[in-house]
Amino acid sequence: MDIAPTPAPVPLVHDIPFWESVEQQDLKLQRCADCGQFRYPAGPICAQCNSEQVTWELVSGKGTILSWVVFHKTYLPAYPAPHTVIAVRLDEGPIIISNLEGPEPEGSWIDERVSLRYATMPDGVVLPRFELDRTAS
Amino acid sequence: MTRTRRATAIIGIGQTDWSGDWRRVRAGEKPADSVGYAAQAFQDALRDSGIPKDDIDGLIVGPTTAYERMGEVLGLNVRWGGQADAVQSVLQAQMAIEAGYAKVIALVYGNDQRSAGTQYGGPSAMGGQSFLSYVYHSPWGMTSQGALYALTLRRYQHERGLSEADMGQVAVAQRAWASMNEAAIQRKQITIDDYLQSRYVCEPLHVFDYCLVNDGGVALIIADAEYAERMRPDPVYILGTGRSDLNTGATSLEPRLTDYYLPAQQQAGASSYEMAGIGPDDMDVMLAYDSFSVHVPLALEGYGYCEVGDVAKFLAEKGIGPGGALPVNTHGGHLSESYMQGWNHQLEAVRQLRGTAGDRQVPGAQTVHYTSDVAGKCMSVIYGR
Ligand SMILES: [Zn+2]
Repeated sequence: MDIAPTPAPVPLVHDIPFWESVEQQDLKLQRCADCGQFRYPAGPICAQCNSEQVTWELVSGKGTILSWVVFHKTYLPAYPAPHTVIAVRLDEGPIIISNLEGPEPEGSWIDERVSLRYATMPDGVVLPRFELDRTAS
Repeated sequence: MTRTRRATAIIGIGQTDWSGDWRRVRAGEKPADSVGYAAQAFQDALRDSGIPKDDIDGLIVGPTTAYERMGEVLGLNVRWGGQADAVQSVLQAQMAIEAGYAKVIALVYGNDQRSAGTQYGGPSAMGGQSFLSYVYHSPWGMTSQGALYALTLRRYQHERGLSEADMGQVAVAQRAWASMNEAAIQRKQITIDDYLQSRYVCEPLHVFDYCLVNDGGVALIIADAEYAERMRPDPVYILGTGRSDLNTGATSLEPRLTDYYLPAQQQAGASSYEMAGIGPDDMDVMLAYDSFSVHVPLALEGYGYCEVGDVAKFLAEKGIGPGGALPVNTHGGHLSESYMQGWNHQLEAVRQLRGTAGDRQVPGAQTVHYTSDVAGKCMSVIYGR
């Protein structure tokens, strides 16, 4: 049986540590070593203070859903419709586009708390995804 | 430095037969390629202007054709040139003329996106190289441009209290305008119920919220005012322009999801209002770039046509369709007339100001506002008689 390949990341050279951390299931984001700003996607300089000094830091994996959509048309073989995408505001600041796994909220998904988990796709690719945060009050 | 008002004007407009070519392409024909459509539109604009071709000393071509090939085909060896999208072409022409680099500039655009099967979603999404946000999130199945606007709309509806039926007002109004426009591709009127019952493509966007994808071309001739007034009695002046960009966080969609481009629209609007010496209350017609319907409420708020948060009320009580207080996208826009990536809106501005818009003419229109916000670049152009 054919397995639809997971769409490959658009290769940006500064993203390599990001994807390595995903593979290791320890999501890290680039952070400015001078002003502390997290950035996603990663880049060569800090947009806030122009520093070139960076660290890569583990993120808490906690965030809040900003918005969500449901594709009713199939654009990618790996993602037959209906397919859901969410935008999550990580507690560290950046917005990450991903998918929600497991139970879905009733009604609006906006402002639901989510936490990070790792999904292994049928072709073996590991992706950071989210599930509703059951520890949230 | 105070910039001159009425320094530049549109003196010629041209287009291809969008609805005829739509039918031909559907029947499996290939009426022209991108350069061919652009050339047809150029011929039409040159005839409309009545000027000798030799007077053209500047050329701007759209992003879908090679610049030098376009100049070769049209036989234009100019002293100034450029390549840009619709609104940036108008701004560049204005700047080149005001700076003295050219006097009469042809702007030509052709696109065979329908017959060539251009993909705006999926693995080879158009614009991926130039707009990273269109493809960056593909590992999670997020590549279509429509989906980015769907994500924007969902949160915008939540924050502004805009219902699905409120949103339907845009598509319904534009289709009503298109029903009065013989050049429009989709002319069958729809109701809010039709809208609500139509299929979703990327929820919350319905199929009626999406632009068409069709073949065609558009051309404009923009000249300095002195030349324009010598050549024709009804030049359409560029009264004011403005631009403001929001690039911080663009790839992760920050400006789309948090403030909906509002600060950039307000700034671009203010620059153009100041240059033109008029404001939103003075506009007879408003034309908003509408690859998706979402652009319209954002522009109504962003350019000061209503208070932020009041757009649902504005759509319901004032109205943007025929008979409404503010006629918006009177040609039917990209949703119903033709998807010429902002170029067809410039033609409509000229027609409304010449008084040649036929059944959909806004009586006595003196001013037209065009707004565009594509990938964080907000631009505002005010045209007048
Ligand atoms: Zn910094």
